[in-house]
Amino acid sequence: MSGRRLTNSLRVLRFHAGEMTQAELGEKIGVTRQTVAAIEQGKYSPTLETAFRIADVFGVGLDEVFRWAEE
Amino acid sequence: MAWREKLAWLAIAGMLIGYVPFFYLFGREAAAGGPSMGRFLLLLGIASAVRVAIEIGGRLVLMLRLGAQAREPADERDRAIAARSSSFAYLALLAGMIVVGMFMPFSQQGIAIVNAALFAIVAAELIRCLAIVLSYRLGWQ
Repeated sequence: MSGRRLTNSLRVLRFHAGEMTQAELGEKIGVTRQTVAAIEQGKYSPTLETAFRIADVFGVGLDEVFRWAEE
Repeated sequence: MAWREKLAWLAIAGMLIGYVPFFYLFGREAAAGGPSMGRFLLLLGIASAVRVAIEIGGRLVLMLRLGAQAREPADERDRAIAARSSSFAYLALLAGMIVVGMFMPFSQQGIAIVNAALFAIVAAELIRCLAIVLSYRLGWQ
């Protein structure tokens, strides 16, 4: 898997969900605002359970939230 | 800044302010023949009191200023960072205890061994806190 990194569309999805704040998203998925910010910045890869919760909040598939990007 | 990162900074400050002068004074007095047990305990007591005062006082101030954040339970990222940081500290403590328990008794005695054990504990705790800070800052998990 070298040469690829995990990216996400959290910022865009939050925007399309009526500018949902990081704190609001964190509350819905059971993590702190700082953790949502870290996920968004690619500084933390969430557990599978949290990743599914995020996708569930926005009503999209997991691959619409997280995807691989070439380095 | 995450709540637990703030607590780690506080612990680092407490340890540096409390124990750096202690180890400096101990080292200086050890070079001049070594401190007495009473003097050693007095210095250790002062250093520990300073550390505890900084941590408790700082935590109270932070809790008063950031009440809601202080009440947030640890989430999965906090737990992952805590686990990784503790594993680093465990290795440091293990190395320290090997030196203190398996090598020092053949060449040192008394207060020097106790002080080395204390140094290993403080160093391990410092490593744990630094790993926490770095993990929050750099996304190290």
